[in-house]
Amino acid sequence: MISFKYTKTDGAEYLSHLDLLRHIDRTLRRAGIKVRTSEGFHPHPKIFMNNPLGLGVKSVAEYCAVDCECEGDFKELFNANSPSGVKCLDFKVTDENPNFANTIESCTYTAQGIPHFDTKEYMSRKSIIITDKRGRTVDIAPRILSLEYQNGALTFTLCCGQNNLRPDLFTEILQGEFGGQAFGLIKTHSHGKYTF
Amino acid sequence: MTVNLDNLKNLLLSVEKPSRYTGGEFGFPELKESAFNFCMCFPDLYEVGMSNLGIKIVCESIRARGYTADCCFAPYKDFGAGLKNSGVPLYSLGLKKPLGEFDMLGFSLQFELSYTNVLYMLDLAGIPLTREERKGKNYPLIAVGGPCAVNPEPLADFVDIVFVGDGENVDADVADIYVKCGGATEEFYKCISKLDGVYLPELRNKTKKALVNDLDGAIFPHQFAVPNCESVHDRAVIEVMRGCYRGCRFCQAGFIYRPVRPRSVQTLTKQACSLIKHTGYDEVSMNSLSTGDYPHLRELIRNLKENLPEGVTLALPSLRVDSFDGDFAQDARKISLTFAPEAGSQRLRDVINKDVTEEEILKAVQSAFDIGYSAVKLYFMLGLPTENDEDIDGIARLCALIKGCYRSKPRKKQLRISVSLSTFIPKPFTPFQWERQASDKEIDEKQARLKSSPHMKGVILSTSDKFVSRLEAVLARGDRRLCKVLRLAYQNGCIFDGWDKELNKDGWQKAFESAGIDPADYTRKFAEDEVLPWDIIDIGVTKQYFLSERKRAYAAAVTGSCLQSCKGCGLMKVCKAAEGKI
Repeated sequence: MISFKYTKTDGAEYLSHLDLLRHIDRTLRRAGIKVRTSEGFHPHPKIFMNNPLGLGVKSVAEYCAVDCECEGDFKELFNANSPSGVKCLDFKVTDENPNFANTIESCTYTAQGIPHFDTKEYMSRKSIIITDKRGRTVDIAPRILSLEYQNGALTFTLCCGQNNLRPDLFTEILQGEFGGQAFGLIKTHSHGKYTF
Repeated sequence: MTVNLDNLKNLLLSVEKPSRYTGGEFGFPELKESAFNFCMCFPDLYEVGMSNLGIKIVCESIRARGYTADCCFAPYKDFGAGLKNSGVPLYSLGLKKPLGEFDMLGFSLQFELSYTNVLYMLDLAGIPLTREERKGKNYPLIAVGGPCAVNPEPLADFVDIVFVGDGENVDADVADIYVKCGGATEEFYKCISKLDGVYLPELRNKTKKALVNDLDGAIFPHQFAVPNCESVHDRAVIEVMRGCYRGCRFCQAGFIYRPVRPRSVQTLTKQACSLIKHTGYDEVSMNSLSTGDYPHLRELIRNLKENLPEGVTLALPSLRVDSFDGDFAQDARKISLTFAPEAGSQRLRDVINKDVTEEEILKAVQSAFDIGYSAVKLYFMLGLPTENDEDIDGIARLCALIKGCYRSKPRKKQLRISVSLSTFIPKPFTPFQWERQASDKEIDEKQARLKSSPHMKGVILSTSDKFVSRLEAVLARGDRRLCKVLRLAYQNGCIFDGWDKELNKDGWQKAFESAGIDPADYTRKFAEDEVLPWDIIDIGVTKQYFLSERKRAYAAAVTGSCLQSCKGCGLMKVCKAAEGKI
């Protein structure tokens, strides 16, 4: 099993999750890396990705695990065969499936374009009730794990998985309160037991 | 100037499938501007255009001479409107350069209903639509090519250059001359007008199609750009041969791609292996007008199976009934068969020179059923010349016989028969180019007759839109007067006419009315001594041959395959089959 960290930038942020999976499969084929497949009548390559990233959000911290053997330098092979914007940053050989979709608990993002505001005050709020895209009211306060300025850019960590908060939705909420127009939204880190 | 995707973020996120508009495909070359910057434009969606082999060949040929070949597809309405509203010109996918900044735009004309999309793309690029409006100003040359270019007259006012015939060399030759002349000078036009395959609508020069006779030596891309989102034919494609031996009398492709030029097994195997290696696809499609007629089919399939990586499957489209063979169909792992008898009775099949018998169809179907196929799709045409009620009944009869074949043995699954009924469209450069198109009323009656047959019970019947067929006929046999109609139709909002959901009948009807043109002028019977709009193009097959074939059609005489004997269509000097070398 190979776990790798990769980017979704340079236009690749507009690839849908399903198309991205197809591209990773084809990249591995082109690289000559044999991926083991599931058993049964319709075998599927054993490629396990982290949870889908919202369309248009860039990332330098996507994770994927592939059940395969690779003799050469995985990173080199992958990058020589991947579409621009989908590039391997680092990889590890693991014995078990790191199951990134379940084990990544939170992600850190940065964004620009939102006017300066008091992040400490924001974080001290007991609850922040919003209406999500499906019309449900949700308290997002417990889903915001950190919020601060780092090198001038707004940096925030949000929950992933079950209590997911979409970063693009979050910047919209901030825009609603503080004005501005968010740009340059990018996932910089994923946090979980098996990330590196 | 280049377009920055980050500035289009809000637009990209508001449209369907934004990855159509971002570029960055694996296999798309790193482009740099050069002495000649060309943009291949495809007047249909990304998913359709990315599957087209012809535009890949043209781009490859231009790049092979050290020039730049970028590409662009028609954006869907949402993105098109968004570009217009935000004042961003339509841009190419590689360099992200506005189309107006290229030296030449080449539009690929795959079918007549994409003509308004050519205007749509020019308009989105901020380029004036007509040659007259562009004259003397700094705009790219507007060129068209592809199968519909054999009658370019309906687009004559909009276009500077028409490429007729094979695109492997002539486009790049024109690029060379452009660079040598330092632009689109008088000298440039003078030089290119002498080339085979270059028609200049302004000059109305009689033009012979460009012909590439050695397909083994011809340029072919060793890799494809792999589309960002799934395309309609998301697989590796090899072109096993160009042209067709059959000469079905309604089929334009069967005549304009003559003579038949097969590629060698060795070349094809090499090309398929290279494509699979460089794309990561797991399927190879063997394309041609009639792959079943490829002279070395068995050898090719054996070679491909031996040389392609394990798990790569072969797809065999447009398989003709009589070339169908249980042995290799099984490899394709399909459950559905597609046949195109085109006509219901033997008499009418003889009229159209579709050299296939009921017995052959049933035999093919039977053997397919025996290896597990359980679905059959049949293509027929209504409104063919000389068609009568018995011919219509023949369609129902054939369905009944196929049902009988299936029932003759116990089978696990239920049989699914789909019948697709299209309307006959008289096309230039066919023996039926003079025929009239059946009226809406006649087609309605024919469809009703078929639907009422008890044999059609349980058969899934689909019909083509009568308005669309009529429009296709008008544009196919059109002349320059239609430029006005096209422009008006575009102004009335007609784009993506080939897409059922998008067709704007009202817009077209109004366009014809305001232009004072009766579409019936183009669907009527043409006289044999009439000057035809496409007489300025010489595709190599003589008018005399078409006339003799027309006579034979009325006598229900089958002409048969070029492989049996040469029929003297006019291309004997450049035809390997005529020389007996196939």
